[in-house]
Amino acid sequence: MQRQSRKKMREMGQGYFFMSPSLLVLALFIIGPILYVVFLSFHKVQLLGNGSLEFVGLDNFSRLADDSRAQIALWNTIKYVAIVVPAQTFLALVLAATLNAGLKGQQFFRIVYFLPTLTSSAVLTLIFMWMYNKNGLINSMLEGIGLQGYNFLGDPDIALNAIMIMNIWSTAPFFMVIYLAALQDIPESVYEAAEIDGANWFQKFWKITVPQLRPVTSFVAIMGLIGTFQLFDQSYIFSAGSGGPDNSTLTVVLLIYQYAFKTLGTMGYAAALAFILALVILIATLLQRKFSKEESLY
Amino acid sequence: MMNKKWFAGLGISAMLLGSALTGCSSDNGGSEPKDGEKVEVTLAGWGGNPTEEKLLKETLADFEQKHPNIDVKLEVITEQYMDVIKTRLIGGEGPDVFYLDAFEAPGLIKTGAVEPLDEYVTKDFDVDDFEKPLLDAFKEDGKTYGFPKDYSTLALFYNKKMLSDAGVEVPKTWEEFTAASKKLTKGKVAGFGAAPELARVYWMAESKGGKVVTDDKASFASKEVEAGLQPLLDMHNVDKSAVEPKEVGASWGGEMFGQQKAAMVIEGNWAIPYLKDTFPDVEYGTAELPTVDGKNSTMAYDVAYVMNAASEKKKASWELLSYLTGKEGMKTWTSKGYALPARQSVAEELGFDKDELRAPLVAGASYATVWQKGPNMPIIVNNFNNQFMSAFLGKRPLGEALKDAEKQANKEIE
Repeated sequence: MQRQSRKKMREMGQGYFFMSPSLLVLALFIIGPILYVVFLSFHKVQLLGNGSLEFVGLDNFSRLADDSRAQIALWNTIKYVAIVVPAQTFLALVLAATLNAGLKGQQFFRIVYFLPTLTSSAVLTLIFMWMYNKNGLINSMLEGIGLQGYNFLGDPDIALNAIMIMNIWSTAPFFMVIYLAALQDIPESVYEAAEIDGANWFQKFWKITVPQLRPVTSFVAIMGLIGTFQLFDQSYIFSAGSGGPDNSTLTVVLLIYQYAFKTLGTMGYAAALAFILALVILIATLLQRKFSKEESLY
Repeated sequence: MMNKKWFAGLGISAMLLGSALTGCSSDNGGSEPKDGEKVEVTLAGWGGNPTEEKLLKETLADFEQKHPNIDVKLEVITEQYMDVIKTRLIGGEGPDVFYLDAFEAPGLIKTGAVEPLDEYVTKDFDVDDFEKPLLDAFKEDGKTYGFPKDYSTLALFYNKKMLSDAGVEVPKTWEEFTAASKKLTKGKVAGFGAAPELARVYWMAESKGGKVVTDDKASFASKEVEAGLQPLLDMHNVDKSAVEPKEVGASWGGEMFGQQKAAMVIEGNWAIPYLKDTFPDVEYGTAELPTVDGKNSTMAYDVAYVMNAASEKKKASWELLSYLTGKEGMKTWTSKGYALPARQSVAEELGFDKDELRAPLVAGASYATVWQKGPNMPIIVNNFNNQFMSAFLGKRPLGEALKDAEKQANKEIE
């Protein structure tokens, strides 16, 4: 008995020993920073120069209540998530369904549609900024058909929408590929049975394809939620880091960046904001899971 | 048997660990080097145009020749300069000597990251030679933390051809300026290319007696500041004679002016080499900014060399810093007129006050406001710019925007 347990202990030790390199890396680069952020969020921190660390309890969190820029950032982010996630999910589904219908040259179109996802978002943003330019492609086209152009980059009412359009366009294809893979799994026999019962293409799509894809949709929605809540690079490049015009492209992550690196001595507040954002994402994901009931299908 | 396995496991893990950690070795073990030893000093700054970079390298080569025991390693930080510098200073990897904009100076000095330079200064260095307002921007509690390398003021750039076509004289007062701007606006050309941000409109904001900052807090939501700024908004929203760069698809005033989308812009010294390189065909002149109520005003943007307080090579760093801001180094650096020298003796010697394009910029130095108003300026500027833009675009009344911006800024400062 004694021998048995010693052997077990030794095997366990061996196991952890073999895992130690990756455990160390995880602790150093993931778990450590997470704990450090929680620690920082309860302090007023000045890292530069002489440095100072002062415990302030929940001050950083209560400060959020009367920081109107933080509220604007949160509102912008929520607006962005609420529009982009459904739109890109729906677009991905439609794209996948059409590319799975057996059209001529669908391989070619699959590749073409997937291209935006392969491009780095910084490059895409720069390209779009050229197209959105007052003398750029989109405005010239609008003027060509007799419409008045927009100041996409400088008008606070439009700037965030411009980023939304760009992001929907560039991330939908990624989810399209996931849908395409899932579509292969739907048995042909189900469609055949529906055809015999006299269902038209829309009924087949709505009553078979969509429900069969539900687990995948749930995955796509959650990934989309997490990704869109963390919007940073596009709005950063769009506004050169300021979140302007008139705070219209200010997102939570951009605000965290500003408090952490631009203004001195607000690292603690930035950490608190980051912590709250993580909570918001967690809650949104849990809600999404609860409502989609992904296990119910099987 | 068992032992062997253990040994193998240990070996493999150690190897993996070793390879994972090789990147983390530290290299800052040394202390202040002795005389005669070869030292490497790092110098960080933002990039300029190629000619400017060549000038800097030339200056540094001169320095290395005179100080054979000091090597200078130049690091150019092209984007988000202050973010990079701050992060590197926090990480203990900051450069020994670096550029610091007067605007950011009070905040950084307050943290203790910048070395006071008074004890290094010798008589030969001639501190009194610096333009006083430029030097004062880097003083805190009677100590000097940096010596200005150069500066620029704002001047009115006007397109000669457009002005003569419209039969307009170069405006001298604000009233003449708005009238000229109206006349010059034709089709796709706007009279005035504005830059609706605090760094550029500060002189207007205070032209009617208002104060933008009081006791390190925002105080721009006053009737006086509003009165100072309203004329600019009227040019955009009522007269339609002013545009901001994005409205015409440009990224800044100089570009807008070069592309001839605006007949007049208010820019600084930096626009002169840019126009020469990028738009050599545009014929333009410069003039002092239009006076408001008979008073001259302009801004001065001041940059200094400062020393990292955590530097381990302070002696060599001072050698470099004092050479670059000394008479000789500054003369080489500013010889082509890409920047204006902060030393009076150098300015006299180079004679920029007689240069046709630069004379108005030099003239402005005597009455300019240095762009620096205490440690909380970055917060104030960010909030002001955000709200002022929507007022400029006519989305909301100016008074309301200023009030909101001031409230938010002061909340962030607390």
